[in-house]
Amino acid sequence: MTTAETFLYLSPELTLLLVAALVFVLDLVWRRDPDRAHRWLPWVAMGGLAVALIITVALMARNPSAHIATMMVIDPMSLFFVAIAIVGAMLVILSALDYIPARTPYVSEFYALVVVAVLAIAIIVSANDLILIYLGMEFLSITSYILVGFLKRNRGSVEGALKYFLYGAAASAVMLYGMSFLYGATGATDLEAIARVFSGGLTGDLALMGFPAIALLMVGFGFKASLVPFHQWAPDAYEGAPTPVTAFLATASKAAGFAIIARVLLVGLPMFQEKEWVPILMGLSILTMTLGNLVAIQQRDMKRLLAYSSIAQAGYILIGLVAIGRDVAFGGLSGLLVYLFAYLFTNIGAFVVVIAVENATGATDLPAYAGLIRRSPLLASMLLLFLLSLAGIPPTGGFLGKFLVFGAAIRAHFLTLAIIAIINSVIAAFYYLNVVRYMFFVQPPDGGRKAIAVTPAIRVALWVCAAMTLLIGVCAQPFVTWAAHSASLLAAVW
Amino acid sequence: MLHSYAFIAIFAIIAFGFAVAGPAFAWLVRPKKPNAIKNDTYECGIKTFGETWVQFKAQYYLFALIFVVFDVEAAFLFPWAVAYGQLGLYALIEAALFILILVGGLLYAWLKGALEWQ
Repeated sequence: MTTAETFLYLSPELTLLLVAALVFVLDLVWRRDPDRAHRWLPWVAMGGLAVALIITVALMARNPSAHIATMMVIDPMSLFFVAIAIVGAMLVILSALDYIPARTPYVSEFYALVVVAVLAIAIIVSANDLILIYLGMEFLSITSYILVGFLKRNRGSVEGALKYFLYGAAASAVMLYGMSFLYGATGATDLEAIARVFSGGLTGDLALMGFPAIALLMVGFGFKASLVPFHQWAPDAYEGAPTPVTAFLATASKAAGFAIIARVLLVGLPMFQEKEWVPILMGLSILTMTLGNLVAIQQRDMKRLLAYSSIAQAGYILIGLVAIGRDVAFGGLSGLLVYLFAYLFTNIGAFVVVIAVENATGATDLPAYAGLIRRSPLLASMLLLFLLSLAGIPPTGGFLGKFLVFGAAIRAHFLTLAIIAIINSVIAAFYYLNVVRYMFFVQPPDGGRKAIAVTPAIRVALWVCAAMTLLIGVCAQPFVTWAAHSASLLAAVW
Repeated sequence: MLHSYAFIAIFAIIAFGFAVAGPAFAWLVRPKKPNAIKNDTYECGIKTFGETWVQFKAQYYLFALIFVVFDVEAAFLFPWAVAYGQLGLYALIEAALFILILVGGLLYAWLKGALEWQ
């Protein structure tokens, strides 16, 4: 590949890097005029993200499968996840326009750091080498710690960041240990070279390396995707973090976790599918959705409830990888992509409603949502739509995601897993609809006379999320085709 | 195949035994004559005073963090300087860029007021 081509394929990442640097520099240039910085910098970041999104979509049209040395692979799958991260970050910035300036004087850094986090995700999802995977994960983690602890005068925010940091440091150490196993066994850090060594025959000690290496790697990856039992940081970090950051962690950052699980297992360790990673992922999936749902029932705080809900959703998403099967033309993987895409808009939408309510009332507990339908019909009906989508009720995107993933499980003969997942969906419907009960049927303490004002930026974010949630559910075909296409090129390596 | 793990198991048992054996043997053979002074907390010869939970000024940490810029710079520039003869102009430009990026970070921290003692 020529230098020009390398730059072409790296252009989304380079754009993100330049935008983040530009926001930092403009913040310095305008340091005597903070009002100006606060007014313009979010739009600089938004504009830069939009440019990066356009470039990413344009690259998708070229249908690339480009290796940058052995370090990165730019293919439809990685571009899919880059697009998810960019869109997520744009919605997060929109929803943060009033939230962040009301709580901290450090506003510009927030927008820059969100762009930096997207850059980290872009590196992780195209990384094809254990070393770059590790660096990317650390890059995303460190950025996320700062974002979670961004309200440094707020106890919850700092506590969440500290827990996230301590847990993350331990998880990444364990992951590194797993990587050392793979390197020790194969003498390579490049995923394709690792696969070549293993495909030469799983004899003697090589066969023994698979299980411990995969189990240890899953600690680090599962930490990012908040899979049980590596989820303990999530409720506290989600609750303490500024709510826009929570929305980002629960969607874009989680998607990056799944992207890296898929790439490492499918590209680097396909030999270990049947005996090693399918059982591991299946166990994690069952644990994750069951524990997430059961604990979510008892939550009385909306952010904690959505945190446990997002843990449970990670369990469903993981089914897509379990049910990937060699014979099932990638049904599970494309189901996973559709699920993540629908989940992006649904979950960010739900968090945008939480932000709007928090901006107006300062509270995130369930009673704050009592009688929401009278105080703000828009917010209540939007949250209803997002909760229905999270519960997987048609005609929403959440339904399509669940349908494809559970369908893939049934076709790949994982009947027990599918039944457990369906029982879990029923449990989940209970606590989602409990929020609906509060919004529609519980009398607010002040009789619901005080209306909640919704700013234009929040309104735009809400409408985009709602439109996409419905569109994915109603007009499914193009999204399914896109996902199947994005997933299929990973098969070329397989 | 499983016997490969047996080596690890034997090694772990020996390592554990080695760590336990020393103190256990000492406990067996040593004289036991405790008194109040012997059982007291020992810390550099002085009795402890005050609370353990004191607050450190976080600003020291900030300065240390900015110092890391120079630390990293040195760590990368020494090998570059040693191999300078073979590397030539390309590496010189690379090193200059590297220093520029680090200086950018330092300038940012400086202009943001991170170097002012509060």
